Amino acid sequence: MMTRSRTSSVARRIALRLLKAAAVCASLGASLSVLAHDEAAAGKKAEQLCATCHGPNGNKPMMPGLPTPRLAGQQYEYLRQALTAYHDGSRKDPMMSAMAQPLTPREIDDLAWYFSRQQGLTTKY
Amino acid sequence: MRNRQSAIRPHGHPAVAVAALLLFSVPAWADGNPTQGKSKSAMCEGCHGIVGYRTAYPDVYPVPKLGGQAADYLAKALQDYKSGARAHPTMRGIAAGLSDQDIADLAAYYSDPGKRAP
Repeated sequence: MMTRSRTSSVARRIALRLLKAAAVCASLGASLSVLAHDEAAAGKKAEQLCATCHGPNGNKPMMPGLPTPRLAGQQYEYLRQALTAYHDGSRKDPMMSAMAQPLTPREIDDLAWYFSRQQGLTTKY
Repeated sequence: MRNRQSAIRPHGHPAVAVAALLLFSVPAWADGNPTQGKSKSAMCEGCHGIVGYRTAYPDVYPVPKLGGQAADYLAKALQDYKSGARAHPTMRGIAAGLSDQDIADLAAYYSDPGKRAP
């Protein structure tokens, strides 16, 4: 009885250690994927695709009469969610649906990441 | 002529033509008063006034930053939630209770970034 409970507590400790190792690997993986963004390439794509309306660095909407958001400094995951929704049709806009439709998930991620890193919007309270 | 071409060409997209048409068809929103907007912003601050605050439903992601956002875009977003054109359930519930004047005032208030957390 004693032996069995000791064995199971050893097993539990090993399982716990494996879990911790997995968690470390997962968080490393997550931070590596952030490092994997190519700022120059993402910036170039942003310039080509987005700057005509959203302005340089997504910081100055330039379409008078066409409500256009500032993107600079916006939350990375919010931007990714918005672009993905335009891409899959769950959010609709004559301009943005057409712009986002051909993007790959990787391009969406890169653009969202790029704009989130620019100085601009603030949390106002 | 050359300049106009180069501004449009990189997109090469029919959407550009659609946008050009829209330029002349967007309704004018009411004029907003930022002071009035501040007094109406209590229901926004619980989420948008907290740095890094995350929505819990239907997807988990940080709520967008509003400080310094373009006023016409803020007004359009609220109008779209009110009409149901945009689907987020919490925002639809909130926008449903806003008048056009409330929307214009809130848009005016949040379009000024203030001296707040980046």
